[in-house]
Amino acid sequence: MESIIHYISKELKKKAMDDVVVAMYEKEGKQLKFVDNKVVKTGYELASNISIFCSKDKKIIYTSLKDISKSRADELIKKVKEFSKDLPQNNDYYGIAKGPFKYKTKVDYDKKIMDINESDMLEKGINKALEDSKRVSGNLEVWHLKTHLVTSNDVDAVDYSSNLYFSIRAFNEKDESGHMTCCSNTLRNFSIEKTSERAAEIATLAKNPKEIKSGKYPVILSHMAFAPLLNNISDAASMYNVESGFSFLKELNRSYGNFTLEDDATLPNGFNSCRFDEEGVPTEKTKIIENGILKTYLHNTSTAKKYKTRTTANAGLIAPRSFNIVFDCKKGDIFDVKEGIYITNVWYTRFQNYATGDFSTIPRDGAFLVKNGKIVQSLKGLRISDNMINLLKNIKCCNKKVLQIKSWEAETPAFTSEVLINDVNITKPEH
Amino acid sequence: MHEEIAEFSLKKAQELGCKYVEVRAEERISNGFVLKNGNLEISGFDINNGIGIRYLVNNNIGFVSFNNFDRKNIIQILKKSISTTKNSSRISKDIYFSDEKQEKADYKINQKEKIKDATEDRKIKILKEIDNEISKLPQRYLSLGDEVAEKYYINSEGSRVHSMIPRVSFMYFITINKNKKSIQKYFTHGACSGYESIKKWNLEKKIPEQVSILENNLANGVKSPKEKMDLIIGSEVTGIAVHESVGHPYEADRILGREAAQAGESFINIKMINTKIASSIVNVVEDPTMENSYGYYLYDDEGVKAGKKYLIKKGMVNEFLHNRETAFELKMKSNGCSRANNYDVEPIIRMSNTYVEAGNSSEEEIIKETKKGIYMKSYMQWNIDDKRYNQRYTGSEAYLIEKGEIKKPVFAPIMEITTPKLWSSIDMVGKKIGMYVGNCGKGEPMQGIPVYFGGPVMRLNNIMVK
Repeated sequence: MESIIHYISKELKKKAMDDVVVAMYEKEGKQLKFVDNKVVKTGYELASNISIFCSKDKKIIYTSLKDISKSRADELIKKVKEFSKDLPQNNDYYGIAKGPFKYKTKVDYDKKIMDINESDMLEKGINKALEDSKRVSGNLEVWHLKTHLVTSNDVDAVDYSSNLYFSIRAFNEKDESGHMTCCSNTLRNFSIEKTSERAAEIATLAKNPKEIKSGKYPVILSHMAFAPLLNNISDAASMYNVESGFSFLKELNRSYGNFTLEDDATLPNGFNSCRFDEEGVPTEKTKIIENGILKTYLHNTSTAKKYKTRTTANAGLIAPRSFNIVFDCKKGDIFDVKEGIYITNVWYTRFQNYATGDFSTIPRDGAFLVKNGKIVQSLKGLRISDNMINLLKNIKCCNKKVLQIKSWEAETPAFTSEVLINDVNITKPEH
Repeated sequence: MHEEIAEFSLKKAQELGCKYVEVRAEERISNGFVLKNGNLEISGFDINNGIGIRYLVNNNIGFVSFNNFDRKNIIQILKKSISTTKNSSRISKDIYFSDEKQEKADYKINQKEKIKDATEDRKIKILKEIDNEISKLPQRYLSLGDEVAEKYYINSEGSRVHSMIPRVSFMYFITINKNKKSIQKYFTHGACSGYESIKKWNLEKKIPEQVSILENNLANGVKSPKEKMDLIIGSEVTGIAVHESVGHPYEADRILGREAAQAGESFINIKMINTKIASSIVNVVEDPTMENSYGYYLYDDEGVKAGKKYLIKKGMVNEFLHNRETAFELKMKSNGCSRANNYDVEPIIRMSNTYVEAGNSSEEEIIKETKKGIYMKSYMQWNIDDKRYNQRYTGSEAYLIEKGEIKKPVFAPIMEITTPKLWSSIDMVGKKIGMYVGNCGKGEPMQGIPVYFGGPVMRLNNIMVK
């Protein structure tokens, strides 16, 4: 029997559309939200969604179908045809990838992930954190996703993913907190207890925080603190953002310091790893910045043709995007500072100017004064107020322990170590 | 709309042992267009419909959502969800809701120029005409969107509320370059209305004016003197400050810790009601019922009737934002602040339209009475910590003030200040209110929700500007 997405694709071609991409996403998910050591909400979701991209004479239409039936699909196809009539051409559109493709990426997958006893798992995490903290709040999520992609250029591919995500914030007295997350595709790499232990450890270290003078400090960013900034860098590498003004990565082959940044959707344990991008191109590993030199932007087929290069398999049909960020730089002793600050989490990163990279972000949870390599005092009331390019150029070294971090502030998972950055501008508020 | 399915779902959830059930059936029909550097990059439409059900079983909250309306499927999904809730019962908190009046209502916003009648051609023309006015700029990102959201809310206590809310919005993000320097501006207009609002925004005139102002700032702006002085903040800055440092910390779920893991807690605690928090000339209002406002609603997503309330009255902490859960905990009634941004997420406490009430001074009087200071009329960068205490606003359009007169533009002055210091430093409040549009993020999973915030021009006496 013909599937609904084959039907939609075929009918849109009959309506003389040039390029058609139809993807069906079927998701089942569960959530436990906990506050002060107790679950306050359980969530269950079962959703199907068909996204549809098509072009007619370089006119682009993007839509979706949620109430999935043949009659609703027929209504939508009719509307697509009408909608396309009055549109002007998108002169920046250069088509979708030509398949068929062979897919090699193999991602860790557990089809029974929805059968886990999430309450037992969470209880262990809460109890572990409570060994060293007074109260904990957070979120445990598990979901399964099936993706079926069909295009008018001979792509017909299916992918499955299983995902687990845990976020826990531990609290002691006022202004004493620690936050940690973990994510994985399978139970094998999903350590709730270690994550809880780390959150509680930071909360305990954060005892009696004090303010510190504004000024330039060597700053050590933990995995949790660096991952959101890595998201900002990979966002800036999307050609869509470069064209729109949302990027400080101005020129290819320019030096941005001495580190390497990749996007890699082929990692077996990558939380967002997958076999193909949104137009069916087999996913790959892309060196965005190599030894500090900007090597490429992230492209889909259309943006790649515009700039006479090849796709990096990062569609986003409209905006290319990263899947899993991988950071690396020179290894060293990140605590080798005379007087510096160790920051374990940040939030609310905002740019004054995306093009110049002027931004600020707020450390939250444990932050610590480090003297001669040792934590000597818990800190509060800090803000990093600096420039992203300066920050990247001042990266000195990282340690060896790599973690995969996904969080509220780091939507794209990042594989990163902790980093030492010199001369970071720290400001504080007037009381 | 799936009203029958909503009623069926409510009945089935009760039969499966839920003592309280609320169901939201929603349909959102939307259109969106993006013009990037003069080129129509994206155009699309969407019909997003589904059902979200929140229930109490053994006093534990469960939430389930779906968009497959087959009745057998619904029963299966409800069974699975309730089983998940029951399975977690031994580690769950008992939740109770405040008693509220049963509501029956049907309301909608009348559109003078209906969204459904606005052609794609017209919408693209709006974008193209604005773009033509600023085509000299190297990077221009313009977006126009509209939505009609129909909602049918029912609960097991007998409430039935049907609503139909149209919403239009326009966003621009521009980059201006001059003499190897650059300045950027991001701004959104929005209203719960039909396309008549587009004319009111006067975009073809206002955006080129804004470009000229920023070009002047870029070409002639001086560095801010880093010292204590009076800081006059424009309506736009008042708006973001009142949203971030008054609205958010007065959300009772933050105060009681429910959002502690991500969105954060609050420097405000429940004992601070009727204590001094700001200058006595400061009054802060939260009012979802403002006609055509971006954060408009008359009944919240727990079926509670909404109304105007004072968060700060004469400088004193007056009232928090509540849903039925926080209202029960504090032994009071809900004031109708519970909202979800879509059928597939739980309702949580949200702001709607938050503003500082008008005072007695004109903008001219405030400037005239300032011997030395800075007038920060608008901003680009801002952020605040997760207790809503330590905040920073960086100016976009700003000027030096000397002896009661506006002088040179100032490039990117910074106010970095604690919330009590900010609100207790206000010594003059303007007469005229300006309101601004935002999309506020909170919750797990993250919910971005339309909000509106603003107020008058205000003066902060003798504070540090960087």
